[in-house]
Amino acid sequence: MSAAESATAVQRSQVDLLDFIDWSGVECLNQSSSHSLSNALKQGYREDEGLNLESDADEQLLIYIPFTQVIKLHSVVVMGSEEEGPKTVKLFANREHMGFSNVSDFPPSDTAVLSSDNLKGKPVVLKYVKFQNVRSLTIFIEDNQSGSEITKIQKIALYGSTVETTDMKGLKKIEDH
Amino acid sequence: MVLEATMICIDNSEWMRNGDYAPSRFQAQADAVNLICGAKTQSNPENTVGVLTMAGKGVRVLVTPTSDLGKILACMHGLEIGGEMNLAAGIQVAQLALKHRQNKKQQQRIIVFAGSPVMHDKKALEMIGKKLKKNSVALDIVNFGEDDGGKTEKLEALLAAVNNNDTSHIVHVPAGPNALSDVLISTPIFTGDGEGGSGFAASAAAAAAGGVSGFEFGVDPNLDPELALALRVSMEEERARQEAAAKQAAEEASKEEKGGEEQDATMTERASEGASEADNKKIEIADDDDTSLQQALAMSMDEPTSSQDLQDTEMSDAAAEDPELALALQLSVQDSTKDSSSQADVSKLLADQSFVSSILASLPGVDPNDPSVKEVLASMQNQSEPQQKQDEDKAPKKEEEK
Repeated sequence: MSAAESATAVQRSQVDLLDFIDWSGVECLNQSSSHSLSNALKQGYREDEGLNLESDADEQLLIYIPFTQVIKLHSVVVMGSEEEGPKTVKLFANREHMGFSNVSDFPPSDTAVLSSDNLKGKPVVLKYVKFQNVRSLTIFIEDNQSGSEITKIQKIALYGSTVETTDMKGLKKIEDH
Repeated sequence: MVLEATMICIDNSEWMRNGDYAPSRFQAQADAVNLICGAKTQSNPENTVGVLTMAGKGVRVLVTPTSDLGKILACMHGLEIGGEMNLAAGIQVAQLALKHRQNKKQQQRIIVFAGSPVMHDKKALEMIGKKLKKNSVALDIVNFGEDDGGKTEKLEALLAAVNNNDTSHIVHVPAGPNALSDVLISTPIFTGDGEGGSGFAASAAAAAAGGVSGFEFGVDPNLDPELALALRVSMEEERARQEAAAKQAAEEASKEEKGGEEQDATMTERASEGASEADNKKIEIADDDDTSLQQALAMSMDEPTSSQDLQDTEMSDAAAEDPELALALQLSVQDSTKDSSSQADVSKLLADQSFVSSILASLPGVDPNDPSVKEVLASMQNQSEPQQKQDEDKAPKKEEEK
Protein backbone atom coordinates (compact mmCIF):
# COMPACT_ATOMS: atom_id res chain seq x y z
CA MET A 1 0.00 0.00 0.00
CA SER A 2 2.81 2.39 0.78
CA ALA A 3 4.13 2.00 -2.70
CA ALA A 4 0.96 3.56 -4.04
CA GLU A 5 1.17 6.73 -1.98
CA SER A 6 1.86 9.97 -3.73
CA ALA A 7 2.56 13.42 -2.41
CA THR A 8 -1.06 14.53 -2.56
CA ALA A 9 -2.51 12.32 0.16
CA VAL A 10 -5.79 13.65 1.49
CA GLN A 11 -6.31 11.44 4.44
CA ARG A 12 -4.11 8.75 5.78
CA SER A 13 -2.86 6.85 2.71
CA GLN A 14 -5.62 8.17 0.47
CA VAL A 15 -4.65 9.39 -2.95
CA ASP A 16 -6.34 11.47 -5.55
CA LEU A 17 -7.33 8.87 -8.10
CA LEU A 18 -7.08 11.28 -11.02
CA ASP A 19 -3.97 9.51 -12.29
CA PHE A 20 -5.72 6.18 -12.51
CA ILE A 21 -8.67 7.27 -14.61
CA ASP A 22 -8.78 5.63 -18.05
CA TRP A 23 -9.67 8.73 -20.06
CA SER A 24 -10.43 6.85 -23.26
CA GLY A 25 -13.45 5.19 -21.67
CA VAL A 26 -14.89 8.09 -19.73
CA GLU A 27 -18.49 8.85 -20.73
CA CYS A 28 -21.18 11.19 -19.58
CA LEU A 29 -24.81 10.98 -20.61
CA ASN A 30 -26.97 14.09 -20.84
CA GLN A 31 -24.12 16.53 -20.60
CA SER A 32 -24.25 19.83 -22.40
CA SER A 33 -21.79 19.90 -25.26
CA SER A 34 -20.28 23.20 -24.24
CA HIS A 35 -19.98 22.24 -20.60
CA SER A 36 -18.57 18.76 -20.59
CA LEU A 37 -17.23 16.33 -18.06
CA SER A 38 -13.65 17.47 -18.48
CA ASN A 39 -14.58 20.72 -16.82
CA ALA A 40 -15.35 18.85 -13.62
CA LEU A 41 -12.76 16.08 -13.69
CA LYS A 42 -9.58 17.32 -15.25
CA GLN A 43 -6.78 18.92 -13.35
CA GLY A 44 -6.90 22.67 -13.71
CA TYR A 45 -10.37 22.79 -15.18
CA ARG A 46 -11.96 21.58 -12.01
CA GLU A 47 -10.32 24.28 -9.93
CA ASP A 48 -11.77 26.96 -12.16
CA GLU A 49 -15.09 28.12 -10.80
CA GLY A 50 -16.24 29.40 -14.16
CA LEU A 51 -15.96 25.99 -15.80
CA ASN A 52 -18.75 23.62 -14.88
CA LEU A 53 -20.20 20.36 -16.01
CA GLU A 54 -23.81 21.09 -16.96
CA SER A 55 -26.71 18.84 -17.78
CA ASP A 56 -28.63 19.21 -21.01
CA ALA A 57 -32.13 17.89 -21.53
CA ASP A 58 -33.01 17.62 -17.86
CA GLU A 59 -31.33 17.74 -14.49
CA GLN A 60 -30.00 14.17 -14.33
CA LEU A 61 -26.51 13.11 -15.25
CA LEU A 62 -24.90 9.73 -15.66
CA ILE A 63 -21.13 9.64 -15.48
CA TYR A 64 -19.09 6.53 -16.22
CA ILE A 65 -15.44 6.45 -15.16
CA PRO A 66 -13.27 3.38 -15.84
CA PHE A 67 -9.89 3.03 -14.15
CA THR A 68 -6.60 1.78 -15.47
CA GLN A 69 -6.19 -0.51 -12.53
CA VAL A 70 -8.19 -1.82 -9.62
CA ILE A 71 -8.67 0.72 -6.85
CA LYS A 72 -10.35 1.08 -3.52
CA LEU A 73 -12.55 4.11 -3.22
CA HIS A 74 -12.61 5.88 0.11
CA SER A 75 -14.30 9.22 -0.38
CA VAL A 76 -15.49 11.59 -3.00
CA VAL A 77 -15.69 15.38 -3.32
CA VAL A 78 -18.44 16.99 -5.37
CA MET A 79 -18.43 20.73 -5.57
CA GLY A 80 -21.10 22.95 -7.08
CA SER A 81 -23.21 26.00 -6.49
CA GLU A 82 -25.78 26.31 -3.71
CA GLU A 83 -28.82 26.10 -5.93
CA GLU A 84 -27.82 24.21 -8.99
CA GLY A 85 -25.36 21.83 -7.44
CA PRO A 86 -26.30 18.18 -7.19
CA LYS A 87 -28.27 16.79 -4.30
CA THR A 88 -28.77 13.06 -4.56
CA VAL A 89 -25.79 11.18 -5.87
CA LYS A 90 -25.79 7.41 -6.38
CA LEU A 91 -22.62 5.48 -6.96
CA PHE A 92 -22.38 2.13 -8.69
CA ALA A 93 -19.17 0.11 -8.69
CA ASN A 94 -18.24 -2.12 -11.62
CA ARG A 95 -21.41 -1.63 -13.66
CA GLU A 96 -20.64 -1.15 -17.32
CA HIS A 97 -22.70 0.87 -19.78
CA MET A 98 -25.60 1.89 -17.61
CA GLY A 99 -28.41 3.96 -19.01
CA PHE A 100 -30.96 6.18 -17.37
CA SER A 101 -33.53 3.43 -17.75
CA ASN A 102 -31.67 0.87 -15.68
CA VAL A 103 -30.39 3.01 -12.83
CA SER A 104 -33.25 1.74 -10.74
CA ASP A 105 -32.74 -1.89 -11.72
CA PHE A 106 -30.14 -2.61 -9.09
CA PRO A 107 -29.29 -0.94 -5.80
CA PRO A 108 -26.41 1.49 -5.78
CA SER A 109 -23.22 0.67 -3.94
CA ASP A 110 -23.72 3.87 -2.02
CA THR A 111 -25.97 6.92 -2.00
CA ALA A 112 -25.05 10.37 -0.85
CA VAL A 113 -27.23 13.39 -0.28
CA LEU A 114 -25.02 16.42 -0.54
CA SER A 115 -25.20 19.21 1.96
CA SER A 116 -23.98 22.71 1.39
CA ASP A 117 -20.73 21.80 3.18
CA ASN A 118 -20.17 19.03 0.71
CA LEU A 119 -20.78 21.44 -2.12
CA LYS A 120 -18.05 23.67 -0.77
CA GLY A 121 -15.51 20.88 -0.77
CA LYS A 122 -16.02 18.67 2.24
CA PRO A 123 -15.44 15.07 1.17
CA VAL A 124 -18.22 12.54 1.39
CA VAL A 125 -16.94 9.41 3.08
CA LEU A 126 -18.29 6.30 1.44
CA LYS A 127 -18.97 2.79 2.60
CA TYR A 128 -15.43 1.65 2.07
CA VAL A 129 -16.33 -2.03 2.24
CA LYS A 130 -18.46 -1.68 -0.86
CA PHE A 131 -15.65 -0.18 -2.92
CA GLN A 132 -12.83 -2.61 -2.29
CA ASN A 133 -12.36 -3.83 -5.81
CA VAL A 134 -13.40 -1.11 -8.21
CA ARG A 135 -12.59 -1.27 -11.91
CA SER A 136 -15.13 1.33 -12.96
CA LEU A 137 -17.39 3.80 -11.24
CA THR A 138 -20.76 5.08 -12.37
CA ILE A 139 -22.05 8.27 -10.78
CA PHE A 140 -25.75 8.96 -11.17
CA ILE A 141 -26.85 12.47 -10.26
CA GLU A 142 -30.54 12.25 -9.67
CA ASP A 143 -31.52 15.80 -8.85
CA ASN A 144 -30.12 19.10 -7.77
CA GLN A 145 -30.50 21.34 -4.75
CA SER A 146 -33.19 23.63 -6.04
CA GLY A 147 -34.93 21.36 -8.51
CA SER A 148 -33.98 23.50 -11.49
CA GLU A 149 -33.75 22.23 -15.02
CA ILE A 150 -29.98 22.27 -15.17
CA THR A 151 -27.53 20.74 -12.75
CA LYS A 152 -24.12 22.38 -12.55
CA ILE A 153 -21.08 20.68 -11.10
CA GLN A 154 -17.81 22.46 -10.68
CA LYS A 155 -15.58 19.68 -9.44
CA ILE A 156 -15.57 15.93 -8.96
CA ALA A 157 -12.61 14.40 -7.15
CA LEU A 158 -12.14 10.79 -6.11
CA TYR A 159 -9.94 9.69 -3.25
CA GLY A 160 -8.81 6.20 -2.48
CA SER A 161 -5.93 3.86 -2.88
CA THR A 162 -4.74 1.29 -5.34
CA VAL A 163 -4.76 -2.42 -4.88
CA GLU A 164 -1.36 -4.08 -5.23
CA THR A 165 -1.20 -4.86 -8.93
CA THR A 166 1.73 -5.47 -11.22
CA ASP A 167 2.85 -2.38 -13.05
CA MET A 168 3.65 -3.88 -16.45
CA LYS A 169 5.69 -0.86 -17.44
CA GLY A 170 7.92 -1.40 -14.45
CA LEU A 171 8.84 -4.93 -15.51
CA LYS A 172 12.39 -4.93 -16.77
CA LYS A 173 14.41 -7.64 -18.38
CA ILE A 174 16.95 -9.12 -16.02
CA GLU A 175 20.40 -8.26 -17.35
CA ASP A 176 23.01 -10.98 -17.41
CA HIS A 177 25.49 -9.02 -15.32
CA MET B 1 -16.34 6.04 -40.69
CA VAL B 2 -18.21 6.53 -37.44
CA LEU B 3 -18.98 3.30 -35.65
CA GLU B 4 -22.75 3.29 -35.55
CA ALA B 5 -25.76 1.14 -34.84
CA THR B 6 -28.77 2.27 -36.87
CA MET B 7 -32.44 1.37 -36.63
CA ILE B 8 -34.56 2.19 -39.67
CA CYS B 9 -38.26 2.75 -39.04
CA ILE B 10 -40.33 2.01 -42.14
CA ASP B 11 -43.79 3.38 -42.75
CA ASN B 12 -45.92 0.61 -44.23
CA SER B 13 -49.28 2.25 -43.68
CA GLU B 14 -52.12 2.52 -46.20
CA TRP B 15 -50.85 5.89 -47.31
CA MET B 16 -47.91 4.16 -48.93
CA ARG B 17 -50.02 2.81 -51.79
CA ASN B 18 -50.02 6.21 -53.42
CA GLY B 19 -48.14 6.49 -56.68
CA ASP B 20 -46.91 10.07 -56.47
CA TYR B 21 -43.39 8.76 -55.92
CA ALA B 22 -42.55 6.37 -58.76
CA PRO B 23 -43.44 3.49 -58.78
CA SER B 24 -45.25 3.69 -55.45
CA ARG B 25 -44.37 5.40 -52.18
CA PHE B 26 -43.65 2.09 -50.57
CA GLN B 27 -41.32 0.94 -53.32
CA ALA B 28 -39.46 4.24 -53.31
CA GLN B 29 -39.06 3.87 -49.57
CA ALA B 30 -37.77 0.32 -49.91
CA ASP B 31 -35.17 1.44 -52.45
CA ALA B 32 -34.03 4.18 -50.17
CA VAL B 33 -33.74 1.73 -47.28
CA ASN B 34 -31.61 -0.61 -49.37
CA LEU B 35 -29.30 2.21 -50.33
CA ILE B 36 -28.94 3.40 -46.75
CA CYS B 37 -28.14 -0.08 -45.48
CA GLY B 38 -25.49 -0.48 -48.13
CA ALA B 39 -23.95 2.88 -47.39
CA LYS B 40 -23.83 2.31 -43.65
CA THR B 41 -22.29 -1.14 -43.84
CA GLN B 42 -19.78 0.01 -46.39
CA SER B 43 -18.62 3.08 -44.55
CA ASN B 44 -17.58 0.96 -41.59
CA PRO B 45 -17.68 -2.84 -41.64
CA GLU B 46 -18.59 -2.98 -37.97
CA ASN B 47 -21.69 -0.86 -38.41
CA THR B 48 -24.97 -2.59 -37.73
CA VAL B 49 -28.38 -1.81 -39.18
CA GLY B 50 -31.80 -3.00 -38.05
CA VAL B 51 -35.27 -2.53 -39.51
CA LEU B 52 -38.71 -2.24 -38.01
CA THR B 53 -42.14 -1.42 -39.38
CA MET B 54 -44.34 1.14 -37.69
CA ALA B 55 -47.76 0.37 -39.16
CA GLY B 56 -49.64 -2.85 -39.78
CA LYS B 57 -50.91 -4.59 -36.68
CA GLY B 58 -48.35 -2.85 -34.54
CA VAL B 59 -44.71 -1.96 -34.35
CA ARG B 60 -42.72 -5.00 -35.41
CA VAL B 61 -38.96 -5.42 -35.46
CA LEU B 62 -38.06 -7.20 -38.67
CA VAL B 63 -34.37 -7.57 -37.99
CA THR B 64 -32.30 -6.52 -34.99
CA PRO B 65 -29.15 -4.52 -35.67
CA THR B 66 -26.83 -6.70 -37.74
CA SER B 67 -23.99 -6.12 -40.16
CA ASP B 68 -25.30 -8.81 -42.49
CA LEU B 69 -26.61 -6.89 -45.48
CA GLY B 70 -28.26 -9.94 -47.00
CA LYS B 71 -30.43 -10.48 -43.96
CA ILE B 72 -31.57 -6.89 -44.03
CA LEU B 73 -32.44 -6.94 -47.72
CA ALA B 74 -34.24 -10.26 -47.33
CA CYS B 75 -36.51 -8.98 -44.61
CA MET B 76 -37.65 -6.11 -46.81
CA HIS B 77 -39.13 -8.69 -49.11
CA GLY B 78 -42.83 -9.49 -48.82
CA LEU B 79 -43.77 -6.62 -46.55
CA GLU B 80 -47.46 -5.83 -46.48
CA ILE B 81 -49.04 -2.42 -46.57
CA GLY B 82 -51.80 -1.60 -44.15
CA GLY B 83 -52.83 0.09 -40.95
CA GLU B 84 -51.67 3.38 -39.58
CA MET B 85 -48.23 4.52 -38.60
CA ASN B 86 -47.49 4.86 -34.88
CA LEU B 87 -44.50 7.19 -34.83
CA ALA B 88 -44.01 7.44 -31.08
CA ALA B 89 -44.14 3.72 -30.47
CA GLY B 90 -41.89 3.11 -33.44
CA ILE B 91 -39.20 5.45 -32.15
CA GLN B 92 -39.41 4.05 -28.65
CA VAL B 93 -39.08 0.46 -29.83
CA ALA B 94 -36.16 1.51 -32.00
CA GLN B 95 -34.50 3.07 -28.99
CA LEU B 96 -35.01 -0.14 -27.03
CA ALA B 97 -33.54 -2.21 -29.83
CA LEU B 98 -30.50 0.05 -29.91
CA LYS B 99 -30.09 -0.15 -26.17
CA HIS B 100 -29.59 -3.90 -26.48
CA ARG B 101 -27.03 -3.67 -29.24
CA GLN B 102 -24.15 -6.05 -28.91
CA ASN B 103 -21.31 -3.58 -29.29
CA LYS B 104 -21.85 -0.86 -26.74
CA LYS B 105 -19.21 1.32 -28.34
CA GLN B 106 -21.44 2.02 -31.35
CA GLN B 107 -23.18 5.36 -31.60
CA GLN B 108 -26.95 5.06 -31.67
CA ARG B 109 -28.96 6.38 -34.60
CA ILE B 110 -32.59 6.08 -35.68
CA ILE B 111 -33.74 6.85 -39.23
CA VAL B 112 -37.48 7.42 -39.56
CA PHE B 113 -39.42 7.46 -42.81
CA ALA B 114 -42.48 9.55 -42.06
CA GLY B 115 -44.82 9.20 -45.03
CA SER B 116 -48.25 9.34 -43.46
CA PRO B 117 -49.83 11.99 -41.22
CA VAL B 118 -48.56 12.22 -37.65
CA MET B 119 -51.25 11.66 -35.04
CA HIS B 120 -49.32 12.59 -31.93
CA ASP B 121 -49.20 16.14 -30.68
CA LYS B 122 -46.12 18.29 -30.61
CA LYS B 123 -45.62 17.98 -26.85
CA ALA B 124 -45.48 14.22 -26.91
CA LEU B 125 -43.00 14.29 -29.75
CA GLU B 126 -40.82 16.77 -27.93
CA MET B 127 -40.78 14.54 -24.84
CA ILE B 128 -39.64 11.65 -26.98
CA GLY B 129 -37.01 13.83 -28.54
CA LYS B 130 -35.67 14.88 -25.18
CA LYS B 131 -35.46 11.29 -24.06
CA LEU B 132 -33.50 10.41 -27.16
CA LYS B 133 -31.12 13.28 -26.60
CA LYS B 134 -30.62 12.30 -22.98
CA ASN B 135 -29.57 8.84 -24.07
CA SER B 136 -27.41 10.29 -26.86
CA VAL B 137 -29.40 8.78 -29.70
CA ALA B 138 -29.27 10.68 -33.01
CA LEU B 139 -32.38 10.87 -35.19
CA ASP B 140 -32.74 11.34 -38.94
CA ILE B 141 -36.22 12.07 -40.29
CA VAL B 142 -37.24 11.62 -43.91
CA ASN B 143 -40.40 13.63 -44.42
CA PHE B 144 -42.17 12.53 -47.59
CA GLY B 145 -45.64 11.58 -48.80
CA GLU B 146 -48.56 13.20 -47.02
CA ASP B 147 -48.19 16.76 -45.94
CA ASP B 148 -51.26 17.65 -43.94
CA GLY B 149 -51.55 20.47 -41.47
CA GLY B 150 -48.78 20.53 -38.97
CA LYS B 151 -46.83 17.43 -39.92
CA THR B 152 -43.79 19.36 -40.98
CA GLU B 153 -44.02 21.54 -37.90
CA LYS B 154 -44.27 18.56 -35.59
CA LEU B 155 -41.33 16.82 -37.18
CA GLU B 156 -39.23 19.97 -37.00
CA ALA B 157 -40.09 20.28 -33.31
CA LEU B 158 -39.08 16.67 -32.77
CA LEU B 159 -35.80 17.29 -34.51
CA ALA B 160 -35.11 20.39 -32.44
CA ALA B 161 -35.68 18.42 -29.25
CA VAL B 162 -33.33 15.62 -30.31
CA ASN B 163 -30.65 17.55 -32.06
CA ASN B 164 -27.36 17.67 -30.27
CA ASN B 165 -24.54 19.36 -32.17
CA ASP B 166 -26.08 18.75 -35.58
CA THR B 167 -25.95 15.01 -35.37
CA SER B 168 -29.63 14.75 -36.28
CA HIS B 169 -31.14 15.81 -39.59
CA ILE B 170 -34.47 16.17 -41.31
CA VAL B 171 -35.02 15.93 -45.06
CA HIS B 172 -38.21 16.98 -46.81
CA VAL B 173 -38.70 15.15 -50.08
CA PRO B 174 -41.51 16.52 -52.25
CA ALA B 175 -43.17 14.32 -54.83
CA GLY B 176 -41.67 14.70 -58.25
CA PRO B 177 -39.68 13.13 -61.04
CA ASN B 178 -36.63 12.44 -58.87
CA ALA B 179 -36.60 9.16 -57.05
CA LEU B 180 -36.62 9.27 -53.26
CA SER B 181 -33.25 7.53 -53.09
CA ASP B 182 -31.64 10.01 -55.47
CA VAL B 183 -32.72 12.93 -53.36
CA LEU B 184 -31.47 11.25 -50.20
CA ILE B 185 -28.03 10.48 -51.59
CA SER B 186 -26.95 14.09 -51.42
CA THR B 187 -28.25 14.64 -47.91
CA PRO B 188 -26.29 14.31 -44.67
CA ILE B 189 -28.31 11.19 -43.93
CA PHE B 190 -26.18 9.40 -46.48
CA THR B 191 -22.98 11.29 -46.30
CA GLY B 192 -22.67 11.19 -42.56
CA ASP B 193 -22.01 14.23 -40.48
CA GLY B 194 -19.89 16.34 -42.78
CA GLU B 195 -17.54 13.52 -43.67
CA GLY B 196 -17.84 13.88 -47.40
CA GLY B 197 -19.36 10.48 -47.92
CA SER B 198 -18.10 7.00 -48.50
CA GLY B 199 -17.04 5.76 -51.89
CA PHE B 200 -20.37 4.02 -52.22
CA ALA B 201 -22.35 7.18 -51.78
CA ALA B 202 -20.07 9.20 -54.00
CA SER B 203 -20.18 6.78 -56.89
CA ALA B 204 -23.92 6.32 -56.55
CA ALA B 205 -24.27 10.08 -56.64
CA ALA B 206 -22.19 10.25 -59.79
CA ALA B 207 -24.41 7.67 -61.38
CA ALA B 208 -27.55 9.50 -60.40
CA ALA B 209 -26.20 12.78 -61.68
CA GLY B 210 -25.05 11.30 -64.98
CA GLY B 211 -28.35 9.60 -65.50
CA VAL B 212 -26.47 6.38 -66.33
CA SER B 213 -27.69 3.22 -64.72
CA GLY B 214 -24.38 2.23 -63.17
CA PHE B 215 -21.21 4.21 -62.93
CA GLU B 216 -19.44 6.76 -65.04
CA PHE B 217 -17.97 5.15 -68.18
CA GLY B 218 -19.80 1.97 -67.29
CA VAL B 219 -16.84 0.89 -65.19
CA ASP B 220 -17.07 0.51 -61.45
CA PRO B 221 -14.29 2.57 -59.90
CA ASN B 222 -14.27 0.17 -56.98
CA LEU B 223 -13.83 -2.91 -59.11
CA ASP B 224 -11.27 -1.57 -61.53
CA PRO B 225 -9.80 1.72 -60.40
CA GLU B 226 -6.98 1.74 -62.91
CA LEU B 227 -9.30 1.34 -65.84
CA ALA B 228 -11.65 3.97 -64.52
CA LEU B 229 -8.72 6.32 -63.99
CA ALA B 230 -7.37 5.68 -67.48
CA LEU B 231 -10.76 6.37 -69.00
CA ARG B 232 -11.21 9.54 -67.03
CA VAL B 233 -7.74 10.75 -68.00
CA SER B 234 -8.32 10.04 -71.67
CA MET B 235 -11.65 11.86 -71.55
CA GLU B 236 -10.02 14.90 -70.00
CA GLU B 237 -7.14 14.82 -72.44
CA GLU B 238 -9.62 14.61 -75.26
CA ARG B 239 -11.56 17.57 -73.91
CA ALA B 240 -8.38 19.59 -73.57
CA ARG B 241 -7.36 18.64 -77.06
CA GLN B 242 -10.71 19.64 -78.48
CA GLU B 243 -10.57 23.00 -76.79
CA ALA B 244 -7.09 23.62 -78.09
CA ALA B 245 -8.20 22.41 -81.50
CA ALA B 246 -11.05 24.87 -81.51
CA LYS B 247 -8.68 27.72 -80.66
CA GLN B 248 -6.17 26.67 -83.24
CA ALA B 249 -8.79 26.19 -85.90
CA ALA B 250 -9.86 29.78 -85.38
CA GLU B 251 -6.27 31.08 -85.51
CA GLU B 252 -4.86 28.99 -88.26
CA ALA B 253 -7.87 29.00 -90.51
CA SER B 254 -6.37 31.44 -92.99
CA LYS B 255 -2.69 30.53 -92.56
CA GLU B 256 -1.18 27.17 -93.31
CA GLU B 257 -3.91 25.94 -95.54
CA LYS B 258 -1.46 24.31 -97.83
CA GLY B 259 0.63 22.94 -95.03
CA GLY B 260 -2.51 21.60 -93.48
CA GLU B 261 -3.43 19.78 -96.67
CA GLU B 262 -0.03 18.13 -96.92
CA GLN B 263 -0.26 16.99 -93.41
CA ASP B 264 -3.74 15.77 -94.04
CA ALA B 265 -2.42 13.59 -96.83
CA THR B 266 0.16 11.99 -94.60
CA MET B 267 -2.43 11.79 -91.89
CA THR B 268 -4.74 9.75 -94.05
CA GLU B 269 -1.92 7.30 -94.76
CA ARG B 270 -1.21 6.96 -91.12
CA ALA B 271 -4.85 6.92 -90.36
CA SER B 272 -5.44 3.94 -92.60
CA GLU B 273 -2.59 2.11 -90.90
CA GLY B 274 -3.80 3.13 -87.55
CA ALA B 275 -7.38 2.30 -88.41
CA SER B 276 -6.55 -1.36 -88.77
CA GLU B 277 -4.91 -1.29 -85.37
CA ALA B 278 -7.87 0.57 -84.02
CA ASP B 279 -10.20 -2.04 -85.44
CA ASN B 280 -8.24 -4.75 -83.70
CA LYS B 281 -8.50 -2.83 -80.52
CA LYS B 282 -12.18 -2.27 -81.06
CA ILE B 283 -12.73 -5.94 -81.61
CA GLU B 284 -10.91 -6.78 -78.44
CA ILE B 285 -12.90 -4.28 -76.54
CA ALA B 286 -16.18 -5.35 -78.04
CA ASP B 287 -15.39 -8.71 -76.56
CA ASP B 288 -15.36 -6.99 -73.21
CA ASP B 289 -18.80 -5.52 -73.90
CA ASP B 290 -17.74 -2.03 -73.02
CA THR B 291 -19.23 0.54 -75.36
CA SER B 292 -18.10 3.54 -73.37
CA LEU B 293 -14.49 2.46 -73.66
CA GLN B 294 -14.94 2.18 -77.42
CA GLN B 295 -16.32 5.66 -77.53
CA ALA B 296 -13.40 7.06 -75.60
CA LEU B 297 -10.90 5.37 -77.85
CA ALA B 298 -12.77 6.42 -80.99
CA MET B 299 -12.79 9.98 -79.77
CA SER B 300 -9.09 9.91 -79.02
CA MET B 301 -8.44 8.54 -82.48
CA ASP B 302 -10.72 10.95 -84.30
CA GLU B 303 -8.60 14.03 -83.91
CA PRO B 304 -5.24 13.48 -85.57
CA THR B 305 -5.06 16.83 -87.33
CA SER B 306 -4.70 20.21 -85.75
CA SER B 307 -3.58 19.49 -82.24
CA GLN B 308 0.01 18.58 -83.02
CA ASP B 309 1.53 21.66 -81.46
CA LEU B 310 -0.26 21.04 -78.25
CA GLN B 311 0.94 17.48 -78.37
CA ASP B 312 4.50 18.67 -78.79
CA THR B 313 4.42 20.86 -75.74
CA GLU B 314 2.83 18.13 -73.69
CA MET B 315 5.38 15.63 -74.83
CA SER B 316 8.37 17.87 -74.34
CA ASP B 317 7.28 18.66 -70.82
CA ALA B 318 6.94 15.01 -70.08
CA ALA B 319 10.23 14.26 -71.79
CA ALA B 320 11.99 16.82 -69.66
CA GLU B 321 10.90 15.08 -66.51
CA ASP B 322 11.05 11.44 -67.35
CA PRO B 323 12.43 10.16 -70.63
CA GLU B 324 11.02 6.68 -70.24
CA LEU B 325 7.61 8.01 -69.44
CA ALA B 326 7.82 10.33 -72.42
CA LEU B 327 8.73 7.45 -74.65
CA ALA B 328 5.86 5.39 -73.42
CA LEU B 329 3.46 8.28 -73.83
CA GLN B 330 4.66 9.00 -77.29
CA LEU B 331 4.43 5.43 -78.38
CA SER B 332 0.88 5.23 -77.14
CA VAL B 333 0.07 8.50 -78.83
CA GLN B 334 1.61 7.16 -81.98
CA ASP B 335 -0.67 4.22 -81.98
CA SER B 336 -3.75 6.31 -81.54
CA THR B 337 -3.23 9.55 -83.36
CA LYS B 338 -0.39 9.17 -85.87
CA ASP B 339 1.03 12.57 -85.17
CA SER B 340 3.81 13.36 -87.60
CA SER B 341 5.63 16.17 -85.84
CA SER B 342 5.71 14.48 -82.49
CA GLN B 343 7.46 11.62 -84.16
CA ALA B 344 10.43 13.89 -84.55
CA ASP B 345 10.76 13.95 -80.78
CA VAL B 346 10.30 10.23 -80.60
CA SER B 347 12.98 9.69 -83.17
CA LYS B 348 15.37 11.79 -81.13
CA LEU B 349 14.78 9.58 -78.16
CA LEU B 350 15.07 6.46 -80.23
CA ALA B 351 18.37 7.75 -81.61
CA ASP B 352 19.90 7.13 -78.25
CA GLN B 353 21.00 3.63 -79.06
CA SER B 354 21.94 2.44 -75.65
CA PHE B 355 18.59 3.51 -74.29
CA VAL B 356 16.77 1.77 -77.08
CA SER B 357 18.77 -1.42 -76.85
CA SER B 358 18.04 -1.60 -73.14
CA ILE B 359 14.37 -1.26 -73.89
CA LEU B 360 14.49 -3.84 -76.61
CA ALA B 361 16.35 -6.20 -74.35
CA SER B 362 13.54 -5.97 -71.87
CA LEU B 363 10.96 -6.88 -74.51
CA PRO B 364 10.18 -10.59 -74.39
CA GLY B 365 11.47 -12.56 -77.33
CA VAL B 366 13.78 -9.86 -78.61
CA ASP B 367 17.45 -10.55 -78.99
CA PRO B 368 19.46 -7.33 -79.34
CA ASN B 369 22.05 -9.22 -81.35
CA ASP B 370 19.47 -10.20 -83.91
CA PRO B 371 20.51 -8.83 -87.31
CA SER B 372 17.14 -7.30 -88.08
CA VAL B 373 17.21 -5.44 -84.78
CA LYS B 374 20.73 -4.21 -85.49
CA GLU B 375 19.55 -2.96 -88.85
CA VAL B 376 16.81 -1.04 -87.20
CA LEU B 377 19.13 0.50 -84.68
CA ALA B 378 21.52 1.53 -87.42
CA SER B 379 18.75 3.01 -89.46
CA MET B 380 17.58 5.00 -86.51
CA GLN B 381 20.90 6.80 -86.40
CA ASN B 382 20.05 8.41 -89.73
CA GLN B 383 17.62 11.15 -89.14
CA SER B 384 17.21 12.14 -92.77
CA GLU B 385 13.65 10.88 -93.24
CA PRO B 386 11.85 10.67 -89.98
CA GLN B 387 8.60 9.38 -91.41
CA GLN B 388 10.09 6.55 -93.38
CA LYS B 389 12.17 5.60 -90.43
CA GLN B 390 9.07 5.41 -88.28
CA ASP B 391 7.61 2.95 -90.77
CA GLU B 392 10.68 0.79 -90.48
CA ASP B 393 10.69 1.09 -86.74
CA LYS B 394 7.09 0.14 -86.58
CA ALA B 395 7.27 -2.89 -88.79
CA PRO B 396 10.11 -4.60 -86.91
CA LYS B 397 8.71 -3.53 -83.58
CA LYS B 398 5.39 -5.11 -84.42
CA GLU B 399 7.20 -8.26 -85.41
CA GLU B 400 9.17 -8.23 -82.20
CA GLU B 401 6.19 -7.64 -80.04
CA LYS B 402 4.38 -10.56 -81.63
